Amino acid sequence: QEKTISGTVSDQKGLPLPGVNIVVEGTTDGTQTDFDGNYTIQGEQGQTLLFSYIGQKSVSKLIGALSVIDVVMEEDAEALEEVVVTALGISRDKKSLGYSTQEVQGEDLNTVKSGNFVNALSGKASGIQIKKNNNLGGSTNVVIRGNASLTGSNQALFVIDGVPINNTNTNSKYQGEASGNYYDYGNTASDINPDDIETVNVLKGAAASALYGSRAANGVIMITTKKGKKVQGMGVTVNSGITIGSIDKSTFAKYQDQYGAGYGPYYGPDEDDFFNMEDITGDGNLDLTVPYQEDGSYGGRFDPSLMVYQWDAFDPESPNYRKATPWINAKNGPISFFETPVTTTNSVAFAKSYEDDGSFRLNYTHFDQSGILPNSSIKKHNFSMSGSFKLSDRLSVNGYANYINTKAHGRNSTGYSDNIMSNFKQWWQTNVDLKDQRDIYFTTKRNVTWNPATSDAGSPPIFWDNPYWARYENYQNDSRNRFIGNVSLDYKFADWLSFTARVATDTYSEIQEERRANGSVPTSFGIPDSGGNRGNVDSGYGRRNLEVTETNYDFMFNVQKDLSDKLNLKVILGSNIRRSDFQSIYSATSGGLSVPKLYSLQNSTGPLALPVERDEKIGVDGIYASASLGYNSTIYVDATIRRDHSSTLPEDNSSFYYPSIATSFVFTNLLNADFLTFGKLRANYAEVGNSAPFDFLYDTYNVNIPPGAPSTSVDNQKKNPNLKPEKTESFEVGLEMRFFLNRLSFDMAYYKTNSIDQIFGVPVSRATGFEEKILNAGEIENQGVEISVSGSPVRTVDFNWTASVNWTQNKNKVVGLEEGIQNLQLGDFQGGVTLNAEVGKAYGIIHGTDYTYLNGQKVVDPEDGQYIKTATSDKTIGDTNPDWLMGISNKFSYKNISFSFLIDIQQGGSIFSLDQYYGRATGLYEETAFINDLGNPVRNSLADGGGFINDGVNPDGATNATRIRADRFGAFGYRRGLPDKAFVYDASYVKLREVALIYNLPSKLLENTFLTNASLSVIGSNLWIINKNIPHEDPEGGLSAGNLQGYSVGSLPTTRDFGVNLKLQF
Amino acid sequence: CSADLENLNENIKDPLSVPGESLFTGAQKSLVDQVVDLNVNNNNTKLWAQFLQETTYTDESNYDQVTRTIPERHWSVLYKDVLKDLDEAKKVIAETTYPTPEEEELKPNKLVVIEILNVYAYSILVETFGDVPYTEALDIDNLLPAYDDGETVYKDLIARLTTAIGALDENKGSFGSGDRIYGGDVAKWKLFAASLKLRMGMLLSDVDPAFAKTTVESAVSTGVFTSNADNATYTYLGSDPNTNPIHANLVLSGRKDFVAATTIIDIMNDLDDPRRSLYFLPTDDGTYKGGNIGETSSYSAYSHVSAQIEEATFPGVILDYAEVQFLLAEARARLFDVGGTVKEHYDAAITASIIDWGGTDADAITYLATPAVNYDLAILASIAGTPWKDIIGTQKWIALYNRGLEAWTSIRLLDYPIMAIPDDAVSGYPNRYTYPIIEQTLNGANYTSAASAIGSDEAETKLFWDLN
Repeated sequence: QEKTISGTVSDQKGLPLPGVNIVVEGTTDGTQTDFDGNYTIQGEQGQTLLFSYIGQKSVSKLIGALSVIDVVMEEDAEALEEVVVTALGISRDKKSLGYSTQEVQGEDLNTVKSGNFVNALSGKASGIQIKKNNNLGGSTNVVIRGNASLTGSNQALFVIDGVPINNTNTNSKYQGEASGNYYDYGNTASDINPDDIETVNVLKGAAASALYGSRAANGVIMITTKKGKKVQGMGVTVNSGITIGSIDKSTFAKYQDQYGAGYGPYYGPDEDDFFNMEDITGDGNLDLTVPYQEDGSYGGRFDPSLMVYQWDAFDPESPNYRKATPWINAKNGPISFFETPVTTTNSVAFAKSYEDDGSFRLNYTHFDQSGILPNSSIKKHNFSMSGSFKLSDRLSVNGYANYINTKAHGRNSTGYSDNIMSNFKQWWQTNVDLKDQRDIYFTTKRNVTWNPATSDAGSPPIFWDNPYWARYENYQNDSRNRFIGNVSLDYKFADWLSFTARVATDTYSEIQEERRANGSVPTSFGIPDSGGNRGNVDSGYGRRNLEVTETNYDFMFNVQKDLSDKLNLKVILGSNIRRSDFQSIYSATSGGLSVPKLYSLQNSTGPLALPVERDEKIGVDGIYASASLGYNSTIYVDATIRRDHSSTLPEDNSSFYYPSIATSFVFTNLLNADFLTFGKLRANYAEVGNSAPFDFLYDTYNVNIPPGAPSTSVDNQKKNPNLKPEKTESFEVGLEMRFFLNRLSFDMAYYKTNSIDQIFGVPVSRATGFEEKILNAGEIENQGVEISVSGSPVRTVDFNWTASVNWTQNKNKVVGLEEGIQNLQLGDFQGGVTLNAEVGKAYGIIHGTDYTYLNGQKVVDPEDGQYIKTATSDKTIGDTNPDWLMGISNKFSYKNISFSFLIDIQQGGSIFSLDQYYGRATGLYEETAFINDLGNPVRNSLADGGGFINDGVNPDGATNATRIRADRFGAFGYRRGLPDKAFVYDASYVKLREVALIYNLPSKLLENTFLTNASLSVIGSNLWIINKNIPHEDPEGGLSAGNLQGYSVGSLPTTRDFGVNLKLQF
Repeated sequence: CSADLENLNENIKDPLSVPGESLFTGAQKSLVDQVVDLNVNNNNTKLWAQFLQETTYTDESNYDQVTRTIPERHWSVLYKDVLKDLDEAKKVIAETTYPTPEEEELKPNKLVVIEILNVYAYSILVETFGDVPYTEALDIDNLLPAYDDGETVYKDLIARLTTAIGALDENKGSFGSGDRIYGGDVAKWKLFAASLKLRMGMLLSDVDPAFAKTTVESAVSTGVFTSNADNATYTYLGSDPNTNPIHANLVLSGRKDFVAATTIIDIMNDLDDPRRSLYFLPTDDGTYKGGNIGETSSYSAYSHVSAQIEEATFPGVILDYAEVQFLLAEARARLFDVGGTVKEHYDAAITASIIDWGGTDADAITYLATPAVNYDLAILASIAGTPWKDIIGTQKWIALYNRGLEAWTSIRLLDYPIMAIPDDAVSGYPNRYTYPIIEQTLNGANYTSAASAIGSDEAETKLFWDLN
């Protein structure tokens, strides 16, 4: 019999608790307490009321005869004492930590299936910059608290269950510098299956990662895998999803549609026309022919009544053989080249724990992705297994095994040359119809290109292949077999003393194969010489085999003792032995392939080039100690010290010590402020030593392909047998507060990190006979502020709204390089643009040519109307570092439905666009054809009222009035006075990164089924670039992960991805 | 646990030590490649000598040497890939104890041949930049070397040559097959060294005529090239990367970036030069046409380099008999005591050039009889201030086709023939390479004082030997 029950809920101090959830067990009936802690609810005698509130222990009350039930809730120490996983996989109470960490839930990283879970971290934690690019399976740049190393890796360390794993990116330096015909092979952390991730904890500062030693100087992404747990049902989870993408057109070229092939009025018998005269039909008469050799669209104005001979008139198998066709803009432009990318992810997991005996979990995931370019895909099989077993009360064993097989096919070529995207965005004829190119390729299976060298049938291409030929014939593929696993043994000597021994390995073998089919445009291919140059060949085959292994042996004593009621001590003593071995061999044909399309090394036309063989074994032996003293759960002091003995330093400098100290003060324990639930101040100081990369000590020579006799040369880099370890010193303070019983919380941190005595190749005058000399030199300073705020503005039984904001600002400064050296060139790019570390400026500034200025006005040459640019390319024209980053996420849930979205913001940062530098010169973009100030098409000759006037002043100070002609290529691009600066854009963006709508089937519906849980989600990612300042591309467009950022060339368009995912548990 | 640590970090794939001879072989190829190359990223001088012209991307034809940082490449190859490797070769060979007395006795000659190539490489650096690092160069403990006065360096180089010539022992061998120019023939190296000394001496004939005279006369008395058989030609192989760099650029790349330049084609057409068909391919209508300097030129409308030049194994020439004879003609015109008459040397030079390119004696005789070529008649007809500079300069320039650096140097010294002003020139005629940008940024203080010492770091700045 139903009756009304009412009462008051208060905390242990007697204060009323507003917003406590109350439900009748086994039903969906519920309510909440009001501001004074009062509630009323309907219920029957014998039913149970459940009272729950974050930070308090849940209470259940049986409805008896009384109709008033008052409840006093007790603080739940465990709930407040959030436990987080720290360095070496050690769990700690979060409140005891004197340094900054931030946790992200695995499910938040697994909503969007991108093939690289790292991408999903963007905007979800402060202090971390994630920069993905659009390459298929491409590498993602992960930098925590700014770039600290001048030339070494600045990538965060990835750790699974306490054990570091490999995140190498085997892309060559030349790939990063946009030399053409290189691929982005991704970073190997992408092998981690997001299905396996329980939580990710970001250890941001040196103090947090000090126990990992030198390699964690860039921060750590700590991954805790899912384990078997107590579940209802059989513990099976089935996940199945499909994602379909479509191109975000704002990230691809918008072409002008009025002019076609050519570079200006340079053709015909008198070299003053837009068309050539050639005998195409073979009748001895000259025909009006499109300048098919030219890879630009600065040619004749489209005119449907004008009949011209184009590329499709030259090949006998073409439907338009020897036929003229109207001079029109192509119906199917480059955007029609892209295909719809589809990703399917299917996984099945079994996870269960068996009370006192242990637990285990098995997972299999199949991932299958097709790219937006024809003939491209990535497939992954991921098997994982984890388990723990209690052998006795004292002894337990744990294990984790993960096998991953990844296969990629047809990754996109990156960089300047031999990249279809550079072709489309820089060097294209708007009159070329992609459907015709497609048809002729599939009809003939020959390289019948829009850009032949001559009009003879069967002519080889001059600059560009038929794009379909390029995709279907010149494809690469790679595959990787990887095993990651560890076994550990825990022994409890006593309640207060335990011992852990762990062996872990991460090993993979990989093959990368690259092909060019006979008859392609000759392009640099194969093995580069010491200057990075590769021979040009029309065909070839190259393969790289990699064998990479890292093994870690850890031994650790763990002491945990209450010295008194109030004093608690934790001590860790441990050692780590690390061995890594990187082996690779790269070989490629030379001079082309003898037998067409047979892709093997023995099919080389010329003698095989010398293969590049590497065998890099390094090791570090570390011992460490950590002591943590806690007083009354209020004040904590942590101190650590580690000694590393590294194989990469000279023997007398190879051992080094570094300490850290961190303290945390939970000041709310001494206060009695009701609104303030929790407050903690923290501070730390840490030093981390770092050793040299492999082989930095002793000189070796280069062996050249013998020019008739043995030939060798001195290496470009002078090694240094007197190196000492480099050092990072970091200082951090932070404040964490939670208000109104956790309805609102924030965490802020300020840090300053100085990386000194850096080991790097200092660039030297080439007159020394070298390019660089390895030295201990240089210092970078990073300081920054991180703020995370989260709260639950609305919390009712049915409707909840939670929101969080992460904000990051990092200021970076190159404090010094070597004495007398003011600038370190990090990368050298096409267009005369370089990326640099210059003393006194931020790391990663862009140098190039700038405008010249007179009283702040750009100076224009009155003779030709062109800007006068600086004579040298050493002007600072951009800074790749963003001013700040912000992620805003909101989640609304109503009953069984939840809706969430994430907005990701980058403010500032610069990016140079080679696409605009060239593509505007070649007349592709809509900005190169418009009606000018005189009301005429700007591309008319000056005599016909065309051209435009550059804003600025003449050297004498007069306002520029000279009209510049725009009827020939270059006027809007790199060629006519415009400096590099004109193509540097603000890389800011505001993106709607993720949207997810999740529907959990009500338990009532599942009552009579085998299912215990079922949910259906609809996910969107990168749906909308709300704001950006770079036209025709995505400001995140880059080449590869690594230190070379801020340069965009021929990157793929961004896709908007829509996904549906079904999750069933039973 | 750290017992095995010390064995790690060892590079077991690259050699810790190599024979000095292999370093010499590597350096020699780097040197010849850089001199012979026409890649627009490496060496522009065939464009600046207006032998060739770019088709679409005409920046370098318009004297742009900044966009592609060509001076940096030139400087870097010569110091890093040539001089440093020679320096290392010298050190290693000097320290090597050879197993047999026969090998041991080759050592002194090897060191002298290295010395001669050193001088050759430095002479190019001075001829292209002016003041360059010399006394402080090639020392990695001095990261920021100072620049030396170009003329002082150049005279020191000549002195080094004189010493080297005296030190060669013709009765013994040297590098053998590791020497891809002379196969280790020491007698040839001696002729080469003297011929180089002749060339370097002549370069100083405006700035220091007395010094030039003694240098040239002493070189000639030692013995310079006497026939095409003495030519310093490097033997290339048939496959990449050991082909002639021109083959890599014009054939392997598949690109069609160059056509003949109107400057040389017009002159050869006027003279009906028998080398025209050996230098160039005619256009479809059978005529020879060159693109206008600095203008976009359609590949199909103009002549291209001849088939032999594109051959993978076409020899790379760094000094030849024709050039020597032209130098002797100049020396006689300046009344240096080198024997013969101007005309005799001039005729010998032209004849050697025609024969070397594949022409015949008859071709040469006919050509030399042409009024515009015949030395006596041509001198009379010349309206130049110094007619011999016009006549010898023009013929020497024609003979130096395919040898951009030497042709450019000859144009700068003799001021003939007159180069066309490119359509879109970004500077006046380049009298030098500007210093590498990387020197400005890395070696700023030394760069600045060098720039002011030579006048200014501009393309038009005339170098110390280039008075007119």
